[in-house]
Amino acid sequence: MMKRFGIAMLALAIAAGTGALTAQTLNSPLRGVSPLNEEGPAAPMTPMRNTAEKEPRNYPEQPPVIPHSIDGYQIDLNGNKCLTCHARARTAESQAPMVSITHFMDRDGQFLASVSPRRFFCTECHVPQNVVGPPVSNDFVDIDTLLSRASPGGKR
Amino acid sequence: MTTPKLDRRQMLKLEAAAIAAAAAGMPVPALAANLVAERDASELKWDKAACRFCGTGCSVMVATKDNRVVATHGDTKSEVNRGLNCVKGYFLSKIMYGHDRLTQPMLRKTNGKYDKNGEFTPVSWDEAFDIMAEKWKAAIKKRGPNGVAMFGSGQWTIWEGYAASKLYKAGFRTNNIDPNARHCMASAVAGMMRTFGIDEPPGCYDDIEAADAFVLWGSNMAEMHPILWTRLTDRRLSAPHVRVAVLSTFEHRSFDLADIGMVFVPQTDLYILNAIANHIIKTGRVNKEFVAAHTVFKRGQTDIGYGLRPEHPLQKKATGAAKANDSTDMTFDEYAKFVSDYTLEKAAQMSGVPLNRLEALAELYADPKTKVVSFWTMGFNQHTRGVWCNNLVYNIHLLTGKICEPGNSPFSLTGQPSACGTAREVGTFSHRLPADMVVTNKAHRDITEKIWQLPEGTIPDKNGAHAVLQSRMLKDGLINAYWVQVNNNLQAGPNANEETYPGFRNPDNFIVVSDAYPTVTALAADLVLPTAMWVEKEGAYGNAERRTQFWHQLVTAPGEAKSDLWQLMEFSKRFKIEEVWPEELIAKKPEVRGKTLFDVLYKNGQVDKFPTSEIEAGYGNEESKAFGFYVHKGLFEEYAQFGRGHGHDLAPFETYHRERGLRWPVVNGQETKWRFREGSDPYVKKGTEVQFYGHADGKARIFALPFEPAAEAPDTDYPFWLSTGRVLEHWHSGTMTRRVPELYKAFPEAVCFMHPDDAQDAKIRRGDEVKVISRRGFIRARVETRGRDRPPKGLVFVPWFDESKLINKVTLDATDPISLQTDFKKCAVRIEKV
Amino acid sequence: MTTTADGPKEEAKRGFIARSWDFLLELWGVLRRPSSVFALGTLVLAGFVAGVIFWGGFNTALELTNTEKFCTGCHEMKDNVYAELRSTIHFSNRSGVRATCPDCHVPHNWTDKIARKMQASKEVWGKIFGTIDTREKFLDHRLELAAHEWARFKANDSLECRNCHSADSMDITKQSPRASVAHQRFLFTGEKTCIDCHKGIAHKLPDMRSVPGWQ
Repeated sequence: MMKRFGIAMLALAIAAGTGALTAQTLNSPLRGVSPLNEEGPAAPMTPMRNTAEKEPRNYPEQPPVIPHSIDGYQIDLNGNKCLTCHARARTAESQAPMVSITHFMDRDGQFLASVSPRRFFCTECHVPQNVVGPPVSNDFVDIDTLLSRASPGGKR
Repeated sequence: MTTPKLDRRQMLKLEAAAIAAAAAGMPVPALAANLVAERDASELKWDKAACRFCGTGCSVMVATKDNRVVATHGDTKSEVNRGLNCVKGYFLSKIMYGHDRLTQPMLRKTNGKYDKNGEFTPVSWDEAFDIMAEKWKAAIKKRGPNGVAMFGSGQWTIWEGYAASKLYKAGFRTNNIDPNARHCMASAVAGMMRTFGIDEPPGCYDDIEAADAFVLWGSNMAEMHPILWTRLTDRRLSAPHVRVAVLSTFEHRSFDLADIGMVFVPQTDLYILNAIANHIIKTGRVNKEFVAAHTVFKRGQTDIGYGLRPEHPLQKKATGAAKANDSTDMTFDEYAKFVSDYTLEKAAQMSGVPLNRLEALAELYADPKTKVVSFWTMGFNQHTRGVWCNNLVYNIHLLTGKICEPGNSPFSLTGQPSACGTAREVGTFSHRLPADMVVTNKAHRDITEKIWQLPEGTIPDKNGAHAVLQSRMLKDGLINAYWVQVNNNLQAGPNANEETYPGFRNPDNFIVVSDAYPTVTALAADLVLPTAMWVEKEGAYGNAERRTQFWHQLVTAPGEAKSDLWQLMEFSKRFKIEEVWPEELIAKKPEVRGKTLFDVLYKNGQVDKFPTSEIEAGYGNEESKAFGFYVHKGLFEEYAQFGRGHGHDLAPFETYHRERGLRWPVVNGQETKWRFREGSDPYVKKGTEVQFYGHADGKARIFALPFEPAAEAPDTDYPFWLSTGRVLEHWHSGTMTRRVPELYKAFPEAVCFMHPDDAQDAKIRRGDEVKVISRRGFIRARVETRGRDRPPKGLVFVPWFDESKLINKVTLDATDPISLQTDFKKCAVRIEKV
Repeated sequence: MTTTADGPKEEAKRGFIARSWDFLLELWGVLRRPSSVFALGTLVLAGFVAGVIFWGGFNTALELTNTEKFCTGCHEMKDNVYAELRSTIHFSNRSGVRATCPDCHVPHNWTDKIARKMQASKEVWGKIFGTIDTREKFLDHRLELAAHEWARFKANDSLECRNCHSADSMDITKQSPRASVAHQRFLFTGEKTCIDCHKGIAHKLPDMRSVPGWQ
């Protein structure tokens, strides 16, 4: 079954390759099937991913996405709900990851006693994820994959 | 250490997981990721670049390996962002790798021949330019130079905008070239030109750390300028005396930091602005010395119309439409009398904002001890009286003398990364030339023609078609050949149903779209050109605080994709000067005869002055390789001649590759933080303290401008205001960000934000599908009554990033009559449950 | 004009009070004398019926004040706390079981309820004198108001939460992994009570800087 599917996919790929000089319809999966002068139905709203499992980062500098729902979490002048679990002092109890040490640095790179005010609004960088499949995939290759490609089975 | 042996079954499982993960756009950790790789293998090449997104102009560090971008992070050496990025910026690494990148030109064909209704078919660049040149020549022959046009972008690099402007204004001899920045900050430009006589903000971002109060006028910085928001947040939370006031027509994330939050009825901002000026005068807090020395008063033309088609009843009714930008002199006393009608009490009544909050707001400005920064973006600029709003907020700062010094700053924020650098400074607008000059001014044309080494009279003396007019002329068949670069106007332009789309599909027209991805605009075109993006080319952007930033080409573009710059210059080779210039003009400079536009515009001894050997070692440069000279340096140095010595000085080319950007005017290697202020701005005459040298008399203008209603307001048939805008996670039309899975999943589709009472009254539940309907069109979307945006009763907000819900089919193409910028924030709709 | 208009009204008012006083004195006179007309049984029965009517009326009135409609009858509640409640899970959720104001803020057993109601008379006082008649005033008092409620919840082991959310009835396999872990560690062991973690779930939070666990 898997094999047959694989062959079908391969055939499709070849067709796409050899068909390069024949007519093909340009389309945008993000637009969907509706013609430009019509408006199609709106897909139902999707739930937020709500787990405690981390997603791998694409590269170390990427802010991790939030694996859980943050519905109703207040982050404003009065307080920051996220820090009730992720603040240094709270992590023993919450067992949540501590905010990165970079978050304690002010604009001049000095470490402060608590999270820097410039990092106060978590959602500027960290976003929760809807349970939904993106219509267009992304061909980004992370560095580890790139390195292992460069020397398949090679000496490390 | 041995690698654990995997049996075939395990291998297959891993591969399947890898395929699934790749399809979902997830990174797949390599098998041996836990091993420390050898140093040389794991070493990354890091280079700086400007962020591809908003006008904040963050600097990012980009890691490349094997011709691919593998990581990005905020540049710690950058003054703008000091190591931070917003969520979009952190995902820059993935924007070039959307699976459906365009890699070859695509032409609509039937049976091997171009056909407006044919299917997109891959063609060579040669064939693409052949048909394009044929259509351009035919259009020029049929309608003259104004039969062709171009719609460019504030996301063009500086040299791309410059090359395009030259190609159109001097090459094709039409001013029918406009950037999408027209939709974005044309009102800010006109506001600056009217008040100060010179464009771009007097202050800079350093104002943030010096201010005691911030007032956001129609700006949701928390989502649209996230890194500036981190600086503002830092200031507010670090210095408890600091106050933040936020004004908007609906509550949004910036209200989370607001000490004074104000939701006002659309259009009544005009009233509030005048009432604050009146409050300052009434309470005796006018800085009389400053006002007497540095300002004059003007009564602006009123009843100026709404930039609609001339036959529209509203347009016919407007008595001042033809002279919208006019003004007459008046005295301070006359001005004081004019604003005396505008009381805070009446402003409270009209706007729906509680009086005590308006008083607190007015006091931030009136109190001489409070240093106040006003920020604004699309709430002011996308407004049928957007120029007025700009003028009115300057009035307040001028009356109190709170301007051009650290912490006292009226600050117009730009939406796009190079709205300032490319659209404004290069002058890619249909009425502009570089360095704030305009096409209708003979002296300005002379200067330009001289620098461009072209005969007198090359540049046409009439304003070209601006964004909305281009769409109308396409529909009317008056523009027949149209080139769109780095923008998605079918999604972004107003009234897409009645104007943009019919124009694109008009059988008389040939539409070319250059893009990296198949946007809806590309899908509506006849020829699609695959385009290199961001660090696939050498680039330069100018941000909202006058900071010019450069980056090198770091990787090559996929397939046959080429940069906009290459496309423009290569296309210019297809035109002999005789085909585009009249005989009288050629006669003034006979040596151009027989040459191509490429020779005349780019291989002119100036642009081609620098050899490719000057390109910094270690960096590719596709355009220079193709044309045989250092294109970017040549274009930049020619362009820089316009501003040097005229208040727009740019540093030498190489400097920008070293620095994290510099704020012009850069004189003797020194950037300028506060303009018009002695000691900071080298152009201010000694002893004047402050000099608004944009106007010949050195004085800024304070304008008397009244309240006038919006072009369309809710009524019984269409009872809701519709406001459109952006969200944090997506940039503009989502072409790049919706192809980054993490950003897609953060905000997958646009929703219709609505007040829970309005929903309940209409028996609509959260998540119900509704039609958002105006007199022009409709979209279908799900209702959100709880999300991050909380409209008041009677208003709905729909973001425009989602190409599956083209909300601009619903919006009205009413513009500010002075700036010609569309009001995307106000039209009337009704909501129907599907 | 004013005097002539007010004069007779004042007269009438005084007349009314005087007449009422006379009536009350007369009634007292009748009541303190033993009945010579009705049988004792009749009297007891009548008293019982009157008691039921009185008691029922009192409780009905009490219950009337114990509805969301009553609570949100004034704009202070409607525009502040109620408006905030509407966007939360306690107002709208998948099963449609929702909390109204008294579910959380009025004890369900009678004596505590009466005590709470007597406290609430202070709110009526506040309403009359405009203690929180603007959003700004409400925000100024928000910490104080919230602190009262937190203290009450803390003292009664989050009784009003537990009226609906019984720890015994929780199926932790149906909870999100984070919730399941937290409930097992802190709720089931009695280490914490609901309000310790779930502040601000039905209304916005006050300034939390002084609150333990927040920063």
